[in-house]
Amino acid sequence: MKTISNDFGVKIKSALARFLVNEKWTRLTVPLFCIALTALLSSILLLILGKNPLTAFYSFLAGNGFAAKAKYGAGVGMISDFFQFLNIMAPLLLAALAFIFAYRCGLFNIGISGQMLLSGFLATIWVGYAKELSGGIAKPLVLGIGLIAGGIIGTIVGYLKYKFNIHEVVSTIMINYIISYVTGFYINSYYVDQVSRSSKVISTASRLTFTKTMVLGNYCNVPLGILIAIGMAFLVRFILERTVFGFELKAVGSNRNCALYTGINVGRQIVYSMMISGMLAGLAGVTYYLGFTNTIIPKTLPGMGYDAIATALLGNASPIGAILSSVLITIFQNGSSYMSSMVGVAKEIASVITGILLLFSACGQYFRTVASAYLRDLAEARPVRHESGEEGEENELRP
Amino acid sequence: MNYVHNMITDGLAFAIPLFIMAVGGIFSEKSGVINLAIEGFQGFGAFCGALLATVLGMYTGMGTQTTLYFALAMAFVGGSLYATLHGLLCIRFNADQVISGVVINILGVSLTTFLTSQLSGVFYGSASNKFTLGVSDRFSVPGLKSVPVLGAVFTNIYPFEIIILVICTYLWYLMYKTRFGMRLRACGDHPQAVDAAGGDVARTRFIAVMISGGLAGIGGMCFAYSLLSQFSPSIYLGYGYLAIAALIFGNWSILPTFFVCVFFGLARAGGYQLCLFMGLSSQYTNLFMTFPYVLTLLLLLFFSKRNRPPRAAGEPYDKGKR
Repeated sequence: MKTISNDFGVKIKSALARFLVNEKWTRLTVPLFCIALTALLSSILLLILGKNPLTAFYSFLAGNGFAAKAKYGAGVGMISDFFQFLNIMAPLLLAALAFIFAYRCGLFNIGISGQMLLSGFLATIWVGYAKELSGGIAKPLVLGIGLIAGGIIGTIVGYLKYKFNIHEVVSTIMINYIISYVTGFYINSYYVDQVSRSSKVISTASRLTFTKTMVLGNYCNVPLGILIAIGMAFLVRFILERTVFGFELKAVGSNRNCALYTGINVGRQIVYSMMISGMLAGLAGVTYYLGFTNTIIPKTLPGMGYDAIATALLGNASPIGAILSSVLITIFQNGSSYMSSMVGVAKEIASVITGILLLFSACGQYFRTVASAYLRDLAEARPVRHESGEEGEENELRP
Repeated sequence: MNYVHNMITDGLAFAIPLFIMAVGGIFSEKSGVINLAIEGFQGFGAFCGALLATVLGMYTGMGTQTTLYFALAMAFVGGSLYATLHGLLCIRFNADQVISGVVINILGVSLTTFLTSQLSGVFYGSASNKFTLGVSDRFSVPGLKSVPVLGAVFTNIYPFEIIILVICTYLWYLMYKTRFGMRLRACGDHPQAVDAAGGDVARTRFIAVMISGGLAGIGGMCFAYSLLSQFSPSIYLGYGYLAIAALIFGNWSILPTFFVCVFFGLARAGGYQLCLFMGLSSQYTNLFMTFPYVLTLLLLLFFSKRNRPPRAAGEPYDKGKR
């Protein structure tokens, strides 16, 4: 009896291990494994709180228009929820791409929130409040300001790193605070809406999201940003994978000294990669402040700057992976209110689930190493004895 | 005159909790584990402390000034327990240390916010996002406080400032004068050497990360009892990141970091007092609040050339590496 159950255990384990190690699919299977673990752990958490996990997960999907809600208000339907989901996913994806671009060059752009805030602020006061501009002029201007403002901050950070050896984590944190306080000052002094205590609402023409558009009989907020974001994801992928510039950039990221010896201009790569990262963050900023919302809360850095890091990490720091992971993270973040109203758990549980997911994905490489070591041990043990899986994975790994 | 006086007292009240967080960061980074997780540690530590303080206040009727000390101790314990997660990820699971730090921060914010809203419902009857704590008493040293200018150092001191300075003096001793401290520093520079000498790299690093979490927890608790007078998600003001900036500016050693923190505190309070002194409206405080950050960037232009981070920081220990 014992041997049979052991045999079975070994089979399952080795199947799982092969699933994780598979060269071709490992970039997909490891995150899937992490998602499965997260689903398991958060179900346990929900069960402890006395809630039904299935209802909760269904509500997450329904909150984003992937499944039908129990009832809808007049003029809105599933498709409205879906567009709202795209609306918030766009800046998140752009911000994640911003992080990826710097990260591939070995830089850690923690200042995405600041870059977002500054570009959003400048686009708001220069274009958003210019009532006379028509949509055809205002929207490209907004995007342009986003690119330039973010790009300038990024360049400064890169230059400080290259010329003065100032760690990018420190300089971006300092710049975040400076941007937050200075924009807070200007908004509070000149642009505040006395009722809502945030900045005055921008003109409809300059907003990157077409609000209340009729789609299939439902009012939707149709975001322009999502097209830009997905386009950018493929552009970033092209630059990183198919150009000399991208190759050099990754070389600097994986081994700075080696890159230096082969004659790559490391300083230039650092400045450029921070600049492009800043530009992407700037785009994220305008799609957030002049798309998803239409006002700025003074002295508040968008939390999205940090969520973006998480998104990028979950997607293996690859642009296409970032599309998938931003879908997933947005489902949790955006669906939390509806889930909370349906299940009756505080909506912060969505962030907890995201956190657990991140925790597992940070260990992704480790899971893979364990799995391949397990398979190797199994292959070595096979000729002698069959039931090497007896002690469980951890013990077998010891050399 | 009064403005300078206030600048010094308020500046120190801000600088000293920041300093203990930075010292925590130094311990972790010197042992070779990059620590971006200070922000999360301080929040989680403060959450544990605030939870204990609320429970004690409710069921034993102790006043704020007594529960403060229990809360500080609990913050240390809570922070170091939470830090084991960072330790596990970085040391056992060989995760990227920077990423692990960010993950720990995100999880810390969400976990404490979630638990606060769940638990406050139990304690207060209705769910809110905070535990009310009150503000710690302050005291002045008689005699010394009337010394001109420098007397401000001895006026309106929070008791925790003294506690922190005592702890940090001990930690300085631990880091630079004991065998453990030497091993710890060696783990960050050349872990293979520690291994060859019979030390346990993983264990040393783990202890260092736990110390780091505990210290950050104390720092967070102090902010909760001084600036905020409550525990709420507003504790995540980014001071953990500021502490990291301070320790990098202080070149990963304790004494220079102390001066950097004091500088931060004075610049911050100074900007505020300058604004009052010039009689500007409260809007302008926002502009003056950028003082410490602008000054830091400017100073870094001159000082960061000779910055030398621990050589092995960021790398998981690999026995076979040459």
